[in-house]
Amino acid sequence: MSNDQNHSVWDRFLPIINRRDFILTTLATGVMALLPRTVSSQSAQPYRIGVLLPTTGSGANYSERPIKGLPLIAAEINKRGGLSGKHPIELYFRDTQTKPDVGAREARSLILNEKVKTIIGTWSSAVAMAVQEVTHEHKVLHLAATSNSSKIVHENYTPYSFLFGPDSRMQSNATVVAIAKMIKAKGWKTYVTLGLDYEWGRDAQKVFVTSLGQTSPETKLTKEFWAKLGETDFTSYISAIMGLKPDFMFGAIAGKDNETFLQQAKASGLFKRIVYPGVFLPVTELMQQRKTLPRGIVGLARCPFFAHMDNPMMQQYVKLYQDKFGKADYPDDFACMYFDALNALDQAAAKAKSIDTETLRKALTGATINTCRGRLAIRDCNNQLDAPSYVGEVVDVPQYPFPIFDPKTLLVIKGDEVWLPSCEEVRKLQKKRS
Amino acid sequence: MPDIGSLFIQLFSGLSRAMMLFLLSSGLSLIFGVMNILNFAHATLWLVSAYLTYSFFQFFSSFWGTEPWVLIPAITLATGIMFVFGMVIERFLIRRMYPRELPEQLLLTFALILILGDLIKLIWGVENRRIILPIEPMEVMGSFVNPYFFVIIASGCLIALGLWWFLHRTKYGKIVRAAVYNRDMVSALGIRIPAIYAGVFGLGVGLASLTAGVFLPIMPLSLGIDMDLIIQCFAVVVIGGFGSILGTFIASLIVGIIYSFSILIWPDGALAVIFIILVTVLIWRPWGLFGTEMRY
Repeated sequence: MSNDQNHSVWDRFLPIINRRDFILTTLATGVMALLPRTVSSQSAQPYRIGVLLPTTGSGANYSERPIKGLPLIAAEINKRGGLSGKHPIELYFRDTQTKPDVGAREARSLILNEKVKTIIGTWSSAVAMAVQEVTHEHKVLHLAATSNSSKIVHENYTPYSFLFGPDSRMQSNATVVAIAKMIKAKGWKTYVTLGLDYEWGRDAQKVFVTSLGQTSPETKLTKEFWAKLGETDFTSYISAIMGLKPDFMFGAIAGKDNETFLQQAKASGLFKRIVYPGVFLPVTELMQQRKTLPRGIVGLARCPFFAHMDNPMMQQYVKLYQDKFGKADYPDDFACMYFDALNALDQAAAKAKSIDTETLRKALTGATINTCRGRLAIRDCNNQLDAPSYVGEVVDVPQYPFPIFDPKTLLVIKGDEVWLPSCEEVRKLQKKRS
Repeated sequence: MPDIGSLFIQLFSGLSRAMMLFLLSSGLSLIFGVMNILNFAHATLWLVSAYLTYSFFQFFSSFWGTEPWVLIPAITLATGIMFVFGMVIERFLIRRMYPRELPEQLLLTFALILILGDLIKLIWGVENRRIILPIEPMEVMGSFVNPYFFVIIASGCLIALGLWWFLHRTKYGKIVRAAVYNRDMVSALGIRIPAIYAGVFGLGVGLASLTAGVFLPIMPLSLGIDMDLIIQCFAVVVIGGFGSILGTFIASLIVGIIYSFSILIWPDGALAVIFIILVTVLIWRPWGLFGTEMRY
């Protein structure tokens, strides 16, 4: 039986509605331009934000809820008059197709044609880094959340990019913290890795292997497996991993590939033989795979709403989201992170009393902001939010119709515990930009 | 070094991958072999079929519950609809392409990919879809296998036999084969070539639809997987020889098994190995292992 949510027709047509909104907004802007100067000068200047998320390709599944959620947050901010109380937010959605060239092209188009001042997105780190080049060139803010290669805030750093989720280094190190405890308890000696063969997968795997080598040098990496992005048949990888008989495996797999892998691995008996701790399990996967996900496996998430239901901001967001999309649907990690990104922009504008890009950038850099994950600081040397990672055991609970991480054993690993310790180390990695 | 049991499981994985490739590529090979049409949208039609099968499965499940056998009427209905849809596409689009050059065929079928992709997005949205059947791993030689792969391997062998029987043992199959070699002569015998072509295109799309239904329990549906699959289909069809069902079958076995063992021995180069084979075949026999020079 499928465990998909029953979406309304409205939800399914939402991307199209956005496109229509885009056309209507453009027409409205055209009409405004024809009005007498006295009228237009009295009108508030809107603040235009481009949203670059894939609705096709590997990342489409993780983009649906942010695409649904962002207009709700924008509407809430606009109820108060918009940014700084007088600049209503206008969102312009574009599909990156999970391709770097398309992402860069759409970013340029948004900046030059739609005159956006901020770009939010995107899913793939490779696309995000292509977008970074464009936003840096045009001095436009870039708020990233889903894409989380550590290169975004290190090797490819630009002062205009801000990362609202744990980067791949932080995420892998969080997994190491959890796995190191298991190694000690279970006496594991060998492991293999399976990663998606692209920027994020390579980065996450490298950080994990390096970090585990330092934490637990006696645990040996037997073999590295690399699957292409968009792999539809993991069977040969699964049988090869089982043939090597490691004590555990580490996976750097995300998006629909993660779902495909989990479904095929379970049916092939991988989890009966090999422990798979730290599998990336955002709320999206917990909801969609509620019937098939093996209970007891140890997963990792970036912003699970259930870990912060004591936070009024999270409560408000979940309520807002469910009022619109029904009680059966919940905002996933990506929706929550983008919610924080847009809210951070709102808080920075309120603090700066301006929507000027440079002023906003300075207000965001090093700021401490209210998020649905609590009050968190943005690191001033690389614009990385002190975002926690969440590691926990998948269990069923009566409150939700899908499994969550066991609240009793949930590990919340703070960002500053697992990011590069000093800003000197960060700056060494950052390339010089003109 | 993996033990004998593990090597057997790896071979089994390779076989299942091979049959998946064959199931996907057979329709593509058949359409090109008979009609000289390179249908770049074949995998996208497969994806549309998969979503359609998914919807029928959901619908029937609401009456009969989520039982594995419910997949059979869902596949049958979707295959029937896609067979007709294939004939409609041939009648109104593909037929106009027969006198045109290959690049124009590719452009038309690529446009179909974009149109059908957006249609999927409109109807089914972007969220992944899946059919969940209670598949439990089976212990074989001290390791585990996914028992559903027996279904895939059996389906591949049955379709290969069925196509062979249709093309070599039935009157219509003989007409289809004759049309490959001399359309004018077949036409001169009073046989309506357009009807033959429409039927073959419908059969090719129907095969894709059947395949989609078979894959559903092991592969979540998502936008974009058609593009990942079509490249592999082309590799198989080129190695086997365009238009040769036997060639497609043998090439699928070669690609599937070599790929599976490459992952075990040299994971970084597994995909490269397949394309090295492809390039070698193209240089040595441009018409493929089982294609004919005349067709080339």
